[in-house]
Order: sequence, then C-alpha cells, then structure tokens
Amino acid sequence: MSPFALAVLAIVALSLLGLPIGHAMIAGSLLYFWVRGVDMGTAAEQLLNGMNTSYLLLAIPLFILAAEFMNSGSIMDRLLRFCNAIVGRYRGGLAQVNVVQSIIFASMSGSALADAAGSGKLMQSLMTRDGKYTPSFAAALTAVSSVIGPIIPPSIPLVIYALVSDTSIGFLFLGGVIPGLLIGAVQMGLIAVTAKRRNFPVEAAVPLARLPRITWEAFPALMMPVILLGLLYSGITTPTEAAAAAAAYALLVSALLYRSISVRDVYRSLVTSSRVTISIGMLIAGALVFNYVITVENIPKTLSAALQTYQLSPFMFLLAVNILLLILGCFLEGTTILLVIVPVLLPTAHALGIDPVHFGVVVVVNIMIGLVTPPYGLLLFMMVKIAEVPLKDLVREVLPFLWVMIGALALMTFIPEIVLFLPKLLGYKG
Amino acid sequence: MAQGDAGEDRRHQVMAWLHRRAENIAAGLLAVMFLAFIVQIVFRYLFNFPIGWTSELTVVCWLWLVLFGSAFVLGERDEIRFDLLYGAVGRRARIAMAIVFSLALIVLYGASLKASYAYVTFMKVERSSYLHIRMDWLFSIYILFLGAVIARYVWLLLRLLRGKDPEAPDVTQVSSGL
Repeated sequence: MSPFALAVLAIVALSLLGLPIGHAMIAGSLLYFWVRGVDMGTAAEQLLNGMNTSYLLLAIPLFILAAEFMNSGSIMDRLLRFCNAIVGRYRGGLAQVNVVQSIIFASMSGSALADAAGSGKLMQSLMTRDGKYTPSFAAALTAVSSVIGPIIPPSIPLVIYALVSDTSIGFLFLGGVIPGLLIGAVQMGLIAVTAKRRNFPVEAAVPLARLPRITWEAFPALMMPVILLGLLYSGITTPTEAAAAAAAYALLVSALLYRSISVRDVYRSLVTSSRVTISIGMLIAGALVFNYVITVENIPKTLSAALQTYQLSPFMFLLAVNILLLILGCFLEGTTILLVIVPVLLPTAHALGIDPVHFGVVVVVNIMIGLVTPPYGLLLFMMVKIAEVPLKDLVREVLPFLWVMIGALALMTFIPEIVLFLPKLLGYKG
Repeated sequence: MAQGDAGEDRRHQVMAWLHRRAENIAAGLLAVMFLAFIVQIVFRYLFNFPIGWTSELTVVCWLWLVLFGSAFVLGERDEIRFDLLYGAVGRRARIAMAIVFSLALIVLYGASLKASYAYVTFMKVERSSYLHIRMDWLFSIYILFLGAVIARYVWLLLRLLRGKDPEAPDVTQVSSGL
C-alpha cells in the first residue's frame, strides 16, 4: 500500500472510531511522514507557518464574536418585532417572519448555527404559543431559514473557501447575496403555499402608525449590514478588519444604545466564541498539515488529468460535484468538506473554465443544505435540543424545504449569472 | 472508600478550577485579538498612522488560542468528530474504539515529539518582523500542545483500561462555526 493510501486509510479509520477530526488529520499525516521517512517535524512546520500566515482566517473568530454579541443583547428581539410589523399580517405571518429575520440576521452574521441558537428559542415560543403552529414545523422552519446565514455575506464558510481557493473574499461575498435571497424567496414561497393548505394563522396587523417607532428601535441593528458592507466595498478596511468593526458595532449598540448587555455577558460571549474558534481552528490546523501531504502527492492535478480523459463538460462536472457534496453533507461536517474535499476538486474546476466565485458560492450553498440533511445535520440536532421535538418529526417537516432548496441550488449551478451578476456589476472580471 | 471519594472530589474541584483559569486565558487571547484590530483601524483611519505590530499580535493570539485551547479548554464533548458510529454504539464498543484511537494518537504524536522539538528550537534563528520576538518562543506553544494532548490521551487511556466509559458525545455541543 502506498504511504498516501495508508495515511488516508488512517484518517478515515481514526475519524470513524471517534477521534476528533483535526487530530485524525494530523495523526494520519504524521504516519505518512513516518512511513515515507520524511522529517516528522514537517507537521509542526506546516501547521505553525500555515496558521501564522493566514491573516484572512482571523475574520472567523471576529465574525463569531459579532454574532455572540448580537445574540446576548436585545438586537434579536427588536429585529423580530420589526419583521413582524412588516410580514406578520399575511397568512402564515409568523412563519414568514422567521425567514425574513434570518435574511436580515444573515447580513450581519456569518454562521447558521449562531442564527439558530440566537433566534431558535424565541421563535419557537412565539410560533407554538396558543397552538398556532406545530412545534416540529416551527423548529424545522428555524433550521432551514438559518441556512441563509452564511450564504448572504458575511460568511464564515466563504472565508474558508477564499483561503483554500485564493479567491477574492470581497467578490465571493457579493456573489452570495442573490443566491441567499433566492433561498429565502423559495422558502417564503413554499410557506405561502403551505399556509393556505394548512390554514396557518394570520398575526394581528401592526398598525402602520406604529411602524416608524418599531423601525426606529431596530434601526441601529438594521444599519449593521450597511456599515459592514460599506467598510468592505469602499476599501476602507480589509475583510478581517470589517469583521472586527462589526463585532465592535454589535457590542456598542448592545451596551450603550440598548443597554442590554452586561460585563458578565461580554465575558460569556468571549468564552463561547473562543470555544467555537478553537474547534474550527483545530480542524483548520489538521487540514493545513494534511493538505501539504495532498500537495506533495500531487493529488489534485492527478485527479484533474484523470477527469479530463473523460472529457467531462463543465455542466456534468458541476452536477457530479453537487451530487457528491450533497451525499457527503449527509455524513460529514461542512468545514471538513470545505477544507479537504474542495481543494482536491478545485484544479479540475479551473481546468474546465468554471468561475471560482461561482464554484465557491455553489459549494457553500450545497454545504449549508448539508446542515439540515439527515442523518448528520448540525442544525437539526440543535433544533431537536432547543425545541425538544423528536428528530423524526423534525425531518418530516424539513423535507419539503429541502426539495425547494435543492431546486434553487440547481438553478444557481446552471445559471452562473445568479451568482456572478453582482460581482460583475462591481468590477469582477471573472 | 469514603476517603477515596473525598480525594476524587478534591481532584475534581482542582481540575474545574484549572479549567476555568484556562477559559480565562482563552477569552483573554480573543479579547486581545479583538482590541488589537480596533486599535489598528483607529490608528490607520483616525490618526492616519498605520501600525504593523497589531497584525502580528493578532496572528500570534490566534495561533496560541487554537493550540492552547485545544490542549486545555476544549472538552471531549466540544470536539468536532464523526460521531455517527461513536455516538451510536454501546458502551463496551465505545470503550474499545476509544482505546484504539487513543493508542494511535499517543504513538504517532509521541513519535513526532523529538522532530517537532528540533524544528521549534531551530526557529530561534528567526525573529518576528515587528515585535522582534524569537520565533522559537512564539512556536513553543506547539510543544506544549503536543505534550498536553499526549498527556490527556494517556489519562483517557488509563481511564478506559479501568473500564470507565468515555462520555458519549453530545452532537448539540459541537461548536462548528458554520
């Protein structure tokens, strides 16, 4: 068996046995160095230098921190009140509120799990009060609408993709805007159809006279995406600095304007964010070492050459990638797919002339859908816990949404302009 | 017997105390990283005076946060792992699986200790560009990380061999940033 095959086998076996994936990747790579007779200090060298030079990655902890600050303050409550004032009056109003809130939150936060954690409990109690909606439908809706979070910028997975593919994070973020809105639109469409069939309730219309006040109260929160994107596209700050500015803004709004966050809350946010940072960081560290092995073995180029002999059309390749990732997404955690599987596919995508921004957004949307596909979907697990509904019921309610989202994914896969229209408008050459 | 329990209790208290201090450090590193960015933005745009040392400081905090945190802050339950199998099997099977992966990690990480130490100490010839810190100091966290992770898995292995169940993973606790 070749040393590389041995390393892959070791990583798969150790992960299956239950060793944390970051450690499994480091251990497998160490085995590779050992068998090949390469200096085992190479792992240290790759990990330390990789972590020490990937400045872009620093955006990840800061986006996480920003979301935590927003979740511990009252920003979410104000947003929900604002959304309710706008779409609550339609049939299935609260269900629509859930999606609209996710779209707005998505433009401030880069994490789907943060959205579900932040709004999940509140949304659940609002939707199930007086038996308006079944608990499993409410939980399913929170799970699927949270998927929008990392598609609309900012986005943690797009930062990781930018790192592995050397693509401009600014254009990637722009590329995510329309696909994110599209996912939101198909969800709202499905709710509108279901609402008639299942006779969902209408919320008491909020009088238009109160709208200015509600908007005013939510205004500082609503300004956040404007500020964030403004900083990013005016070139005033780097993407990483924009992430820090977003966190500072969320903290200032919660602390000074809304007075809804204490020193204790700030500390708790720091601890929670550092935990999340550490676990993703460990995964990235493992991937840095293992990706070195993959590069030494020339795997991506070999694969690209092999695929070229099949004369795959870009269309067929994208279709195959989507199917592969949707299947992998049922079993694997998304960051692992982004860090390990996607780099192997990139050279082929490049050789076939597929645009890297288009490819990145499609891949990320796909991986986000993986967060709500059984059996392994982190958002499903989270909602099972928050809403205390059985996984089985939750999955049944998620399925219709899954189909329309896969439909939207197919649409943006085969009509690249859905992704590329905005980046091109702002100067992306493609 | 009762005395043994008391000893166990005290050990738990000490560990819990140490764990909270480790959390303090992790939170502190993140806070420093955040503040350094703010300082950097303020200096560049308000005072028109770009400073470079902040970006170096943030990168160092990030490296230390991940390696220190992975060694001392993350519990077995927080780690991102593939738990379809690990979480589903019975107690005995899980103990057996955990024994195999702990052994593999101890052997492989252990085998790399010497070479890793050599790499880190070799880096004493370089200094960081702004703060002029010797790189072997900056990178020493890796040796601490290796040592602590090995020690942790040796401890886990000893528990497993005495038949103690590794905690069943709690998937809702997994902190993925997606």
